[in-house]
Amino acid sequence: MRRFHVFGFDVRDFVWTFVMYGLTLTAVAMLLWPLLTVFGNGLQVLSWDFLLASPEDAGRSGGIAPILVSTLGIVLVSLTAALPLAFGVAVMLTEGFNPAGWPATILRCSLDILAGIPSVVFGLFGLSLFCRQLELGYSILAGGLTLACMILPTLARSLAFSLESAGVAHRAGGAALGLSKQSVLWHVMVPVALPGICAGVVLALTRALAETAVLLFTSGYSDRMPESVLDSGRSVSVHIYDLSTNVPGGTLNAYGSALALLLLLALLSFTVHALTRWMQRRMTGNTTRSL
Amino acid sequence: MEIGEEMNKKTWTARHVGVPALWMLGALLCLSGCNRETDQKTEAKAVRVSVVGASTIAPLISELAKAYEREHPGIRIEVQAGGSARGIMDVRSGTAVLGMVSRELKPEEQDLQHALIAKDGIGMIVNKSNPITGLTKEQVVGIYTGRITNWKDVGGDDSPITVVSKAEGRSTLEIFSGFFGIPYKDIRAHVIIGDNQQGIQTVAGSPAAVGYVSIGSAEYEADQGAAIRLIPLGDQIPSTAAVASGEYAISRDLNLVYKAPLTEPVQDFLAFARSNEAAAFVTRMYFIPVTK
Repeated sequence: MRRFHVFGFDVRDFVWTFVMYGLTLTAVAMLLWPLLTVFGNGLQVLSWDFLLASPEDAGRSGGIAPILVSTLGIVLVSLTAALPLAFGVAVMLTEGFNPAGWPATILRCSLDILAGIPSVVFGLFGLSLFCRQLELGYSILAGGLTLACMILPTLARSLAFSLESAGVAHRAGGAALGLSKQSVLWHVMVPVALPGICAGVVLALTRALAETAVLLFTSGYSDRMPESVLDSGRSVSVHIYDLSTNVPGGTLNAYGSALALLLLLALLSFTVHALTRWMQRRMTGNTTRSL
Repeated sequence: MEIGEEMNKKTWTARHVGVPALWMLGALLCLSGCNRETDQKTEAKAVRVSVVGASTIAPLISELAKAYEREHPGIRIEVQAGGSARGIMDVRSGTAVLGMVSRELKPEEQDLQHALIAKDGIGMIVNKSNPITGLTKEQVVGIYTGRITNWKDVGGDDSPITVVSKAEGRSTLEIFSGFFGIPYKDIRAHVIIGDNQQGIQTVAGSPAAVGYVSIGSAEYEADQGAAIRLIPLGDQIPSTAAVASGEYAISRDLNLVYKAPLTEPVQDFLAFARSNEAAAFVTRMYFIPVTK
């Protein structure tokens, strides 16, 4: 193929570099656009008072304190419920079953199908199981548990993936030292896989925080300070939805809530990362002592 | 490699499956158990009234509930949004005491009682830059069925009309199609929107668009500087005052539905929702209070 040179530059190289830069810039701009809109509009209303006050006048004035509390409650319930289950499934997938056998294949396949189900379906499922059958009503507990079902497949798959990629070498090494399967898992595999597990948890958190449809069905609409997990509580995403669709003049506070949600997400993922680092130090520390 | 195979052979036993299964069963039992306990506790604490239904009315009833609770500490009113149909369903099944329905009751829904708490008018809106002075009922039907496609055919500029309509399931669409006699399937819309705010934003952002939204929110958004204008329909001039007096025909009722008999606290709340005190809240949500 012929190459054209202008002032010593290869034209084809130049064009392709240009295209690549263009595509990268487009991607960044697509990300920046909504972020800047949210920051630009949200900063006008975001303040300590906004974060610490209760909503008034259908959310057009006042703040979002009860909504933040409900959101944290919902996320906490869903992670507490989903994490041990997902961890169990991931361990069975990587350590228990033969990875090529039919139980593992069926499990992996059903997790993938579950992960692809639209969230509204989980909402309806949660409404009939947790709210109606188990008589939890519209409550933070019901919402959290429904979200747990929704994030379980993704969480289990990403945990299994990070355990798998921790590698055969570590496992064989542990076994060669005469460690039991449990201690290899706990003292070798989990610490090695922790960064991956952490990434999975943050992803699940993001999905849970962004969810609107599921929570409208299960944890409900009430914008009061919840007294227990059995009270109905509105999540930030439901609040944004309500302000921007059903309340005339609620747009500005919707932006404020969106900005608060962004900051909450950043704070939570930072916490998860810090927690992971602390756990990794502690767990590997224990290993050296027990050896 | 032998070690690896040895480890893989140690697969699942009854213990592996049974223990988690028992644990989950226990957790479920515990959940339903502890729920029943707390139910009894809260019953002693406060009367709970659950209100479910139309998301249009939900913000209004939430505000009314908060105001009512401040004066009556013994009651807790739980408002949940989920659509008019859900309101009817939940009142019938007894899950909710009051249902919010943003339309008149249908003949097959007459097994339920209803109380009118406010009205909401629907008006045609166009972009502020559109010179049109009004549309007749026939012109609106023509535009929404796709027979009229250019503004010049109804006395406007030479530009193709962008038709904005509501998504199916919205009460506004039901009222619109009922008043103009256009079945859903005959509506030829370019943009399908979900709610009033979205409708106003769409029409404000596109000079050749026409849409229909709640008069209260259109008046408010126009006051706030949105580039929209409510236009008369024939000889009917859309305004909140005209809806309140009953002169303006395209309006909808915002109802609370219930199964008789009601307990005394609920009756009292219902009376509050129709009082003059509540009218201020109704106006603040850009609905129209019912004149008595």
